[in-house]
Amino acid sequence: MYQSFIGLEIHIHLTAETKAFCGCNARYGDEENTNICPVCMGFPGVLPTLNEKAIQMSYLVAKALNCKLSPKTRFERKNYFYPDMPKNYQISQFTDPVGRDGHIDIEIGDTIKRVRIHDVHFEEDAGKMIHAGDMSLLDYNRAGYPLLEVVTEPDLVVGEDAEAFLKSFRRMVRYLGVCDGNMEEGSMRCDANVSINLQGAGLGEKVEIKNLNSSRFVRKALNYEIGRQSEMMDAHKVIIQETRLWNENRDQSEPMRRKEAANDYRYFPEPDLPPFMPSAEFLKEVDDSMCELPFARKQRLMSGHGLSSDQAEYIHDEKYRADFFEHCVFAGADAVQVYSWLSSDVKKLLNRTGLTLEKCPLTAERLAKLIALIEEGQISGKIAKTVLDYIFEEDKDPDKICDEKGLVQISDPGAIGKIIDEVMLKNGDVVQAIKDGDLRQMGFLVGQVMQASGGKAAPQVVQSVLKEKVLG
Amino acid sequence: MSDFEKKWSAVLSQAPVLKAYKNYVGTWEKKIGSFLEFDPNRNVGKELPEGPLKGIPFAVKDNIAVKNFKLTCGSKMLEQLVSPYTATAVENLQKAGAVVVGKTNLDEFGMGSSTDNSALGKTNNPWDLERVAGGSSGGSAAAVAAGLVPFALGSDTGGSIRQPASFCGVYGLKPTYGVVSRYGLTAYASSLEVIGVLARNTEITKKVFESMKGQDPMDHTSLDHNPSGKSVKTIGVLKNTHGALSPEVSASYEATIKRLEKAGYKLLEIDLPTLDYVVPAYYTIATAEASANLARYNGIRYGHAPLFAENPTELMKKSRHEGFGDEVKLRILLGTYVLRSGFQDQYYVRAQKIRTAIRQDVERWYSKADVLMMPVFPTPAFRHGSTDMDPFQQKQADLYTCTANLVGHPALSVPSTLENGLPVGVQFMAPPFEEDRLFQVSALLEKEFQAPEAPGYLTDWS
Repeated sequence: MYQSFIGLEIHIHLTAETKAFCGCNARYGDEENTNICPVCMGFPGVLPTLNEKAIQMSYLVAKALNCKLSPKTRFERKNYFYPDMPKNYQISQFTDPVGRDGHIDIEIGDTIKRVRIHDVHFEEDAGKMIHAGDMSLLDYNRAGYPLLEVVTEPDLVVGEDAEAFLKSFRRMVRYLGVCDGNMEEGSMRCDANVSINLQGAGLGEKVEIKNLNSSRFVRKALNYEIGRQSEMMDAHKVIIQETRLWNENRDQSEPMRRKEAANDYRYFPEPDLPPFMPSAEFLKEVDDSMCELPFARKQRLMSGHGLSSDQAEYIHDEKYRADFFEHCVFAGADAVQVYSWLSSDVKKLLNRTGLTLEKCPLTAERLAKLIALIEEGQISGKIAKTVLDYIFEEDKDPDKICDEKGLVQISDPGAIGKIIDEVMLKNGDVVQAIKDGDLRQMGFLVGQVMQASGGKAAPQVVQSVLKEKVLG
Repeated sequence: MSDFEKKWSAVLSQAPVLKAYKNYVGTWEKKIGSFLEFDPNRNVGKELPEGPLKGIPFAVKDNIAVKNFKLTCGSKMLEQLVSPYTATAVENLQKAGAVVVGKTNLDEFGMGSSTDNSALGKTNNPWDLERVAGGSSGGSAAAVAAGLVPFALGSDTGGSIRQPASFCGVYGLKPTYGVVSRYGLTAYASSLEVIGVLARNTEITKKVFESMKGQDPMDHTSLDHNPSGKSVKTIGVLKNTHGALSPEVSASYEATIKRLEKAGYKLLEIDLPTLDYVVPAYYTIATAEASANLARYNGIRYGHAPLFAENPTELMKKSRHEGFGDEVKLRILLGTYVLRSGFQDQYYVRAQKIRTAIRQDVERWYSKADVLMMPVFPTPAFRHGSTDMDPFQQKQADLYTCTANLVGHPALSVPSTLENGLPVGVQFMAPPFEEDRLFQVSALLEKEFQAPEAPGYLTDWS
């Protein structure tokens, strides 16, 4: 059998407000060629000025990936020609990237895998070419976006590993607030390197698959490629180093260019930017921006709040959701109850309204209060769902909604007794049947009482009073 | 305000003077062709800021950006480009009240020692129209020497200010690297080049330098100017290597030594064994940087584009084939060659090591001497074409000037004598930020020998 090796190169757009080397807006979706200036268009005589905020984010990511942080990070020119790259070189990093030699632990199924990080380096993005019929149009809005490239060692084995890695990585950068992780909009992009070889023979000839724009495609493309290469090995064919593209319509990879056409980037030090040496103050700010990372958080949700792995998986997936969850628990709500609400009713409402947890009227205090109302017996679980709807509709606290709508549960046995009396009067035959021994009909009566009370009667009280009245 | 300043500030404020001035410039321009664009009318009647250079007109080498003026860099590639912004150095001078009246000719992208490599015009030396004005800031040097402007900006990558200053008989300052912002200077060899001044006398050179220096947020390699305030007592004089210098330059050099002795300076003979390596190191580094810096001229966003191209690659190829001159192509190819993968250690990295060795070689003298003196160029202005010096010989002759660029130190070319009717200059070099030491020596020498007036030069044209 063969051994496969996968390494990833992930590019993320940093959520800095301005471009890497000028003051233009770094914003997705604006009208073409509106966020441009002489600097990002590479006019004669302009010089780059380093966006310190973006460099800070880069150090944050490198730190989160347990890299050795560079005390003196340098910039290099990477020379190659492309119509959407204004200077025809990209300012990037080569000899002293922001960080190197890191690692990250990810969960793949039930196991935890450590993936080594080769390096994390800062660079600028190119513009975008739009092909329209026999014309090619250029949009330079994206030219100069601050970009971070994370390069892993070839520690991943199959497509599923790569998919899991990307999901963990995406979650991490979102936790850190440095990238929105949106692969469709191109704010996170991935190239994958894959090689196979006989067991124990080390790395094989490398094939690169470029421009994978979803973690699902990464999995499919890699597994396809491993299969293709295995078949070639079986047939004693030589695998050549090349770059391939994933064709998502045909579910197969196709050759893009061969090694012979490989670029010579002629890296050399960027003379227009001095090396960046982070000060103690700068590094302290990096430390202060660090948050508890998703992997650690999941462990803590399980050990500290008694959630199962699946429950913790759902809660920790988004940082805001995990914060919301812990806020509810801190306010006294039961952890599993909070999980249940978030993963079902709240989720459904969010989907229906198209809102996010951050932007919806439900706050952690309101959910905690709602759960408390149930536990105190003030409302039933069923009413609680109605109350939740009202919170979304009216943006009010749950107790206020209960007051205004008269949704407080009836748990007074006297009041419930009166309702039961009416129900018994109307359903004399059913009462008689129960008395004659058909206890299955009891449920029908409970339902009638609940209906007559408009759902407000406390079910347990109904049960006990009804039993007493019917069976004596 | 000196008489000199009065004369110049009248140009833009008094209509009859402006008319006389334009006539004077027109007469000279027919002979020397120093300007690529000349328009003194643009700022007539405009409110100017109060400043040390209020109302003084000046010219700018056409590789430095001035908004709404062209920025051709002497190249067909950028023949039609109008700059959308202004260089910081120019902006600083405008804040000091000075007014841009035109853009001057140069060797294409600053590559050359004669201004004969300009694709857009021919510039002659005001002293002898058969001869070159020097380069690459030849247009600026000729304009100052002919009295068309009191000062002009140039750029100095390997001597491009000092050599034409010497050829035309004017003062030429290459400041400390980083002290004047490079923002707006079209990049040729970024780690070597600076914006500097060509002027009629020491005082205005100093004034212009003071007005345009300063750290610039648009240039992360720019620095604050921190001079020591030390005065000059000892001058290290590079041994006159007879034979390497033409008899004229050698004679001029000796004359300067005598004047310095007479002025009471202590002279110290120095040697720089690394001088032999200056030219190879310079051309390796400069061309490497040029190959990246000029990659942006691809015919897509601005500049020359072919009438037809099948695809982007062909568009780039044709733009460059048609837009760049031979010298530019030569240097791009050389730079691409020295940077190619697998050969960096052999060329580029080694050149950088030599650069460090040269710096150490120069710096060891600063403990003994306050400034260093060297020739500017081995010959006076040579004739157009390759009769006196072919392009390769011109490059080899850059050894004295390139030193200051490789080490980043300030250097000033000072007119020293006239030899057979041609001016010859000498240069002084100082530690970083010590421009003032250069001005001290220059001012003293100026008392003995002022920048000479070219035949036909008028102090009063009205």
